[in-house]
Amino acid sequence: MLVDSPAVDRLVEAFRRLPGIGKRSAERLALHVLSAPADLAAGLSHAIEDARRRVKRCSVCRNLTEDDPCRVCADDRRDHRTICVVEAPAGAMAIERGGAYRGVYFVLHGVISPLEGVGPDELGIDALVKRVEEEGIEEVIVATNATVEGESTAMYLSRQLTPLGARVSRIAHGVPMGGGLEFADDVTLGHALQGRTTL
Amino acid sequence: MSMTCNGFRGLAPTEFRPGPGVNVIRGGNAQGKTSLLEALLYLVTSKSHRTNSEADLMQYGQRGFQIRAAFQRNDREVRIEANWWDNAKRFKVNDVAQTRISDILGKVHLVFFSPEDVDLVRGSAAQRRRFLDMEISQIAPAYLHALQQYRQALRQRNELLRRPPVDPVQLDVWDAQLAAHGETVQAERDGFVNQLNTWAADVYSRIADGEPLRLRYRPDIRAGATFTDVLRNARGSDLRQGVTTRGPHRDEVEIEVAERDARRFGSQGQQRTAALALKFAELELIRARCDEYPLLLLDDVLSELDADRSQRMFGALNGAVQVILTTTDLTDHDGLYGADCTFFRIQEGRLDTD
Ligand SMILES: [Zn+2]
Repeated sequence: MLVDSPAVDRLVEAFRRLPGIGKRSAERLALHVLSAPADLAAGLSHAIEDARRRVKRCSVCRNLTEDDPCRVCADDRRDHRTICVVEAPAGAMAIERGGAYRGVYFVLHGVISPLEGVGPDELGIDALVKRVEEEGIEEVIVATNATVEGESTAMYLSRQLTPLGARVSRIAHGVPMGGGLEFADDVTLGHALQGRTTL
Repeated sequence: MSMTCNGFRGLAPTEFRPGPGVNVIRGGNAQGKTSLLEALLYLVTSKSHRTNSEADLMQYGQRGFQIRAAFQRNDREVRIEANWWDNAKRFKVNDVAQTRISDILGKVHLVFFSPEDVDLVRGSAAQRRRFLDMEISQIAPAYLHALQQYRQALRQRNELLRRPPVDPVQLDVWDAQLAAHGETVQAERDGFVNQLNTWAADVYSRIADGEPLRLRYRPDIRAGATFTDVLRNARGSDLRQGVTTRGPHRDEVEIEVAERDARRFGSQGQQRTAALALKFAELELIRARCDEYPLLLLDDVLSELDADRSQRMFGALNGAVQVILTTTDLTDHDGLYGADCTFFRIQEGRLDTD
């Protein structure tokens, strides 16, 4: 026990529910919030509540946004016939940082995982199917992670979308650019070799 | 090789410098012989054969333990350090902290034989699969990856099966994942068992005076069958039972001695010798893949074999293998161990040269 206070215990527990926060970090954060001037706590809780209230899911792509539809979905200069499917907003952010992609997104907020009770319904896949059916989508690029769940989700999407006439492609997983082969782990290198292309 | 350890089991702070060839550690029961081997096993694999909890490895009244060793691998030195402190496990290889403990696998190879290993022959198919998984993971990192992916896909598919109504398209995609990784698992197991068979048969017949031994990999999904077809055909029973009934998680390795199933018909002596032959075969297999012999740890093996078999066992050992052998037998009757052995004695956790 950190301090003899159920309120502090509840705060530590709340921090622990955040990703990447273990018991020690949660205790450190809680102690910091409690020993710092009161406006830190007030500012923090206000910022969290305010952001949570303003930010919602885009009704088109499910990405997080203050405006609906989001900036990407509302941009006429982008290619609305190409959709990149990502597991999480962070994936779309990473691809945007790259700057090379001109299409739009669809954010699953997860992957198919029976163990966590997540199926196609929880991922809004019916909405994606509807978009492909109604909007003449030419290509769907599936950029889920290279886990069994990510691969299964990619294949599930392909099974649902290919019959609708869309080209469904999978991003390549392999050796990072600029990284020497000697720095890639054996498994990544194996994948990169399997996914080799003809020159 | 040289090793030091502190706070481990009942061992006093120990420095251990075995010689090349056969090293014999003599001591009574519960004096620390097995703990010494266990410390080496833990250092090289991050696991103990006796427990899954590091707290059990800690000396009573201590907060942690430390094991360090330097190994000669071909022409390089590999230093490994294991630290257990305040419920945290830390490994360093050549002074570099290892972020993923699984990365230490394969840095140094080691083969361990203990009396319980007779279960490899006598026990369930699951024990033989565990043996394959442990050993192949040591020499083929791609195998460990495929196995982990296969197991995860299997857990997911089983969970899906448990929650009717089951979407057939979702079953299809998990089938495809099982097939992709399961085929890799089968191919590696097939190659491993075939190689192991060649060497195990040779060693076994040398120790058992000409008696034949044969290993056969019996994949649940037989060679030539299409993985996804088998899963599809089993789908009805999978749905009824709520579990995936076919695949590498149901594989078997058959062990025959004198042309009979050793598991059901083998004598104690045949089963023990067969288990030992598997381990000796692994030495050759690792040498073939890695160009050097692993360290061989033999815990209390002589109590398992009669004098003739013990003698022939030493005869079957390649002189280039560094062996650490424990025994409760305090004498060297009939010069069993050969001339160039190094002897140690262990008493109440204290190791001395003998
Ligand atoms: Zn949007």
